[in-house]
Amino acid sequence: MSAPVLEAIAVTKDYRLGKQPIPVLRGIDLAVQPGEKLALLGTSGAGKSTLLHVLGLLDAPTTGEIRYDGERVDQRSVAERARLRHRQIGFVFQFYHLIPELTALQNVMLSGMMATSVLQYWGARKAAKAAAIAMLEKVGLGHRLHHRPAELSGGERQRVAIARALVAEPRVILADEPTGNLDSQTANGVVELMFSIQRERGLAFVLVTHDENLARRCDRIVRLRDGAVVG
Amino acid sequence: MTAAFSPFLAWRYFVTRRINWLSTAGVMFAVWAMLLVDSVFTGFVSSIRQDVANSSPHLLVTDLPHDTDYQVLQPVVEAVDGVASSAPRLRHYGLLQPLRAPQRLSTAGSSQIDFDHARSGFALLLGVDPARELATGNLRDWLSRESPYGSSSFLQGNRLEQYPFADVDARQFGFFGLPGAVDWAARKRAGLPVEPDVADHRSNTPGVLFGYERALRLPWLRHGDPMELVCVSFTESGGKVTLHTHPSRVAFAGCYATGHRGFDEPTVLLPIETLRTMLGADAADPDSIALVTDVAVRVRESVSPDALPDLQRRLRDAVQKALGGKTCSVLDWREQNPVMLGAIAHEQAMMQFVLFVVMIVAATVIFATLHLMVVQKTRDIGILASLGGSPRAIGAVFLGNGFAVASIGTVLGVALGIVSVRFLNPVNEWLYATCGLELFPRALFDLSGIPVRLEASWIAAVAIGAMLLSLFVAWLPARKAARLHPVQALSHE
Repeated sequence: MSAPVLEAIAVTKDYRLGKQPIPVLRGIDLAVQPGEKLALLGTSGAGKSTLLHVLGLLDAPTTGEIRYDGERVDQRSVAERARLRHRQIGFVFQFYHLIPELTALQNVMLSGMMATSVLQYWGARKAAKAAAIAMLEKVGLGHRLHHRPAELSGGERQRVAIARALVAEPRVILADEPTGNLDSQTANGVVELMFSIQRERGLAFVLVTHDENLARRCDRIVRLRDGAVVG
Repeated sequence: MTAAFSPFLAWRYFVTRRINWLSTAGVMFAVWAMLLVDSVFTGFVSSIRQDVANSSPHLLVTDLPHDTDYQVLQPVVEAVDGVASSAPRLRHYGLLQPLRAPQRLSTAGSSQIDFDHARSGFALLLGVDPARELATGNLRDWLSRESPYGSSSFLQGNRLEQYPFADVDARQFGFFGLPGAVDWAARKRAGLPVEPDVADHRSNTPGVLFGYERALRLPWLRHGDPMELVCVSFTESGGKVTLHTHPSRVAFAGCYATGHRGFDEPTVLLPIETLRTMLGADAADPDSIALVTDVAVRVRESVSPDALPDLQRRLRDAVQKALGGKTCSVLDWREQNPVMLGAIAHEQAMMQFVLFVVMIVAATVIFATLHLMVVQKTRDIGILASLGGSPRAIGAVFLGNGFAVASIGTVLGVALGIVSVRFLNPVNEWLYATCGLELFPRALFDLSGIPVRLEASWIAAVAIGAMLLSLFVAWLPARKAARLHPVQALSHE
């Protein structure tokens, strides 16, 4: 077995309600291998999304460590964690989280603008635009490039979100209930699309879901209950 | 280094969210108002200062002892290096009553607090030596300057003639004397005895000159109208104060205008010899002195403004020495009009403060708009963080949005301000011609048009100030955006 690309070691996370700490994650140990599809399965309130945010460096663990390629990263500065997030991680959310003022193409191009300066981006703008168009064509939205999110269906929006997550060529995709807001037929299409790209690129894939059937399509299932891994 | 997404998204937010246009309009109108109002006020102030300066000699030797003799002072004053010439002045006060007035002049104005100099007959008398005043002060300009209503139309409308300054001979001009035919006709109108034949009449009546404002209030006044002038003075002897009245016959000889209403309205010019004689210093008496209260001084053109204080000091020292150590003052034109100029400066400062408040209001609109936008775009902030946007770059999105509002609003405001200033007078004239509306009543301000003066330094100050203030108020919500927690932002409803 190769070295894990992403690790959580004894991760806990508490929120505070007044002075009272509310434990959400209780000593999570988790390792995600390159090219692995991992499902985080659990009921609502089990801590799945919190764990995903901690793994994606959007939130800091109360105790424990997050490692990428064996290197501890959770203690790095805010700016360094943002850079790492851009280079290593792609997020796909249940509610798509597209910028409503931007077209599908602009939403995808936005990802490429995160870590480059204005001048750098200006020099590479044609290549960045071509890459974004290619990615949207890959997810089947080549004909919807200039539509805004409000003009797209739920499935189309999620495809745009997938294209946005992939265009920066991350090593890990963190998907939080990506089909939770879609009908079953559309959801099936989105899942097929995500998994085919995952296989093609050999990405590590962490999928948060409470759908047992969807979880079974992954290589491994980690079950969470009350903030702890139960199986 | 600015991440590429910051200006990109800032611009997209700016063009797609119409509330930004409201902020831009706020900045634009604030900048426009600051430029337009200040340019009018600066033009107005500049015009007033010019008129005040025009009503004053370069320097005025004043606060002299009551028995000062100009013949003693003249050589002393003109010997001071930097002095070009001097002219005697004698100030007093008096009452003027035209002999041909349709009714006795009333003492009140249009209200109890509005003292009407013309209708009351009260006058600040300024006795001048016309020949010396021509060489020293601005008398030539005062006599040739048009009234705010247009000199010729005003004179024709009031059936007046202007003093024939260019044609008059020196002897006649020396006492503002009238042509014989004019004096003859005026005396006849007033019922005074005259020669049967006008050709036999020679005028010996000293003339008085009114400011246009004063003459305007006496619509029945005609060129040459004889008037009774009375001065009063007091003497004290043995603890007893005695009142003396000094009557004299003068004639209305014409109008003058310095443009400074505070000078023109109360001040009546008359020959200094006439006033001296009235006050007991008879010119025909070889023992009398050339009485003066002030000496007007013309400074050589070679004297720079920086050297003026030194000249004032040397002049004062020389005069005080000639007066045997008695004190006097030497004032430049600003020091001669401290109340007027102080009031203008105060009003300008107040006006600029009000305009600053307008700018603050515009800045508050920007702040409110951007703050609202940060609240509305909280989820976008979480999205940007999830894509790898640093807090600083996320803050730069909103700061960039504020920069777009500020810069576009400022550029539009400056352009609108310049165009408004350029076309203010044509628009004012068009409004007056078509609707009878006046943005700036010329009769009220004694001005033929709206005085506008837009200075490049003020444009730069307003533009830079608007930009800095706008960026400051944009920075506050931008900082809030940068500090938002990504997870809380993503879950924001």
